[in-house]
Amino acid sequence: MSSHASRASATHHLTLPVTAEDVRKIAVGDMVYLNGEIVVTIGLPTHQRILDNAASGGHLPQALPHGAFFHLSCYNRETADGSYEALYMNPSTSTRYNSYMPRIVKALDLRMVGGKGGLDAASVAAMRETGCIYLSFLGGGCTMLARAIEKVVAVDWTDYISQFRLVTLQVKDLGPATVGIDAHGNSIYTTLAQEAQDKLPALLAQMKAEREAAAPPAGE
Amino acid sequence: MPISSQLIRSVTAQMYEWSLKQIPDDTRDVLKKFAAAERNPVGRKTLAIMLESSEAAKQNSQLVCSDVGFPVYMIKVGSRAQIDGNLRQAITDGFADLVDGINPPILQMVTHPLTHKRSYAAPGMPQVTFDWVDDADYIEITCSPKALGSGRWAALEIFVYPSLDQVEKYVMDCVLRAGSQACPPIVVGVGIGGTFDYAAKMAKEATLRPHGVHNEDPMVAALEERLLKAINATGFGPMGTGGDATAMAVNVNISHGHGFVPIAVCFNCWINRRTRVRIGNDGEVTRYE
Repeated sequence: MSSHASRASATHHLTLPVTAEDVRKIAVGDMVYLNGEIVVTIGLPTHQRILDNAASGGHLPQALPHGAFFHLSCYNRETADGSYEALYMNPSTSTRYNSYMPRIVKALDLRMVGGKGGLDAASVAAMRETGCIYLSFLGGGCTMLARAIEKVVAVDWTDYISQFRLVTLQVKDLGPATVGIDAHGNSIYTTLAQEAQDKLPALLAQMKAEREAAAPPAGE
Repeated sequence: MPISSQLIRSVTAQMYEWSLKQIPDDTRDVLKKFAAAERNPVGRKTLAIMLESSEAAKQNSQLVCSDVGFPVYMIKVGSRAQIDGNLRQAITDGFADLVDGINPPILQMVTHPLTHKRSYAAPGMPQVTFDWVDDADYIEITCSPKALGSGRWAALEIFVYPSLDQVEKYVMDCVLRAGSQACPPIVVGVGIGGTFDYAAKMAKEATLRPHGVHNEDPMVAALEERLLKAINATGFGPMGTGGDATAMAVNVNISHGHGFVPIAVCFNCWINRRTRVRIGNDGEVTRYE
C-alpha cells in the first residue's frame, strides 16, 4: 500500500457481531461507527488472564470470542442496586500489549481490536489469519466516546481496579474510529513509519541546506 | 500578608481539574488552523473530532482524556514571597481533595515503578519541583499532569561536541520513534546542553511554552522552525493515522555546559495539558493558562 493520502476513505456503520468476511471488505484508512457489544480493558494482567482462561476453558465474557476487543480505559463502578455504570472511556496505547495480542487474537478468533497507536507485525499477521481489523479511537476523546455507551452488559474480574476489569458495553454509533490495520496485512502504522524513515535523509538534507543558506559555513 | 497554605491547597487542586477538562486556548486555535489546512481527509476528520470532543468536555465539565496522568507541579518561588504553612503538604492535600471531590471521578494512575501497583496517593506524590525567582513577591505554579501516551517517548542522549547535523538527526530520530503513538499533533520540547538533569528540565519546560513564543536566540529559533517543518513533512498526522499535522510546535531551550552535550527530547500530546497561575503576597490569584 502506498500513502493513503490520495485514496478515498469509506465510512462503515457496523453492527456487532460481524463475520471475518465482513471485516475483509474494510480497508485501512476507512472510518467505522460501531453498534452492539464490545469488550474493553487496559489491564496488562487482564490480558494474561484472558489467555489463561481461553486455554483452560475458564470464564470469558460472552461477547469476547469472535468479537470486538478494545484497549479502551473505562471508568466503571457498582451502583446502589448492585448493577454497574460506566462513566466514560478513552483509548490507551495498544503497543503496550504487543506481547499478548497475537495469541489473544488467535485464541479468541477476534474480528476487531483497537485502541490507539496500532500493534506490531506479529499482531498484524495474526489478524490477517483470523480476519480482524484494528480501530484507532480518538485519544483524548473521552466525552465523544462516552456518548456512545448505551448500557453496561457485564463487568468481569472486579478484583482488578476499575480500568483493568473486563467490561462488556453495549454501544451505539461508537466512532468515528479509523481503520489502522486491515484484515489483509496492511498497517497504516507500518506504512507511515516506513515512509517517514524513507523521507528522513531528504528532510535532514533540507534542514542542512536551509541552515547553510542562512549562514554560510565560516570555513574554520 | 503571607500566601496561605489553604489557598495553595485549593488552587493546586483546581489547576489539576482545569487541565483535565479543557485544552489551552492557544492549542485549540492551532488545531483549528491545522483542520483548515489538513490535506488528508481522515486527518481532517480527526482534527475536527479533537476540537468537538475537547469543546464538549469543557462545556459539560467532563474529562478530555481518561488518562489523567500523575500529578506534576513546577513552582517558582519569589525571593520576597511569604508563605504561611507548608507548601509541599498543601499540594499533597490539594491532590487528595481533588481525588475525593472531582466529578466525574478519576482513575488510579499513580503507579509504583517496580510493582506497577496503582493508587491515588504515594510517597513523593505529587511530583513538585522548585525554582527561585530573585526580587519577586509571588509564587508561580505550573500544573502539567503527565500521562503515558506521550510521556513514554521522551529520550535523552549525551553527545560530545555535536554538529547541528547530529542535533537535528537526534530530534528527528526521537520523533520517528514516537511516530503514530504520542497522540499527534504533538508539542516537542528539546533541551540542549547543561548537565544530564538540566537538559531534561529544559526540555520539559520547553513543552510548556505558550504557542507562538520562540527562543529569543535567532539561531535557536531557526532550529525550532526547521525542525517543525521537517516533522510536519513526516506524514504521521493527527492520531498517527496519516496527514500533515504531526507537530504544533518545536520548542528548544539551550544552556552552556561543557563539550559533552546532553540532548533531551520530550512530548506533549495534542491536548497539551498545562495550567499556570501566579499567587501574590496579597493573595491575588492570576491565571495565565
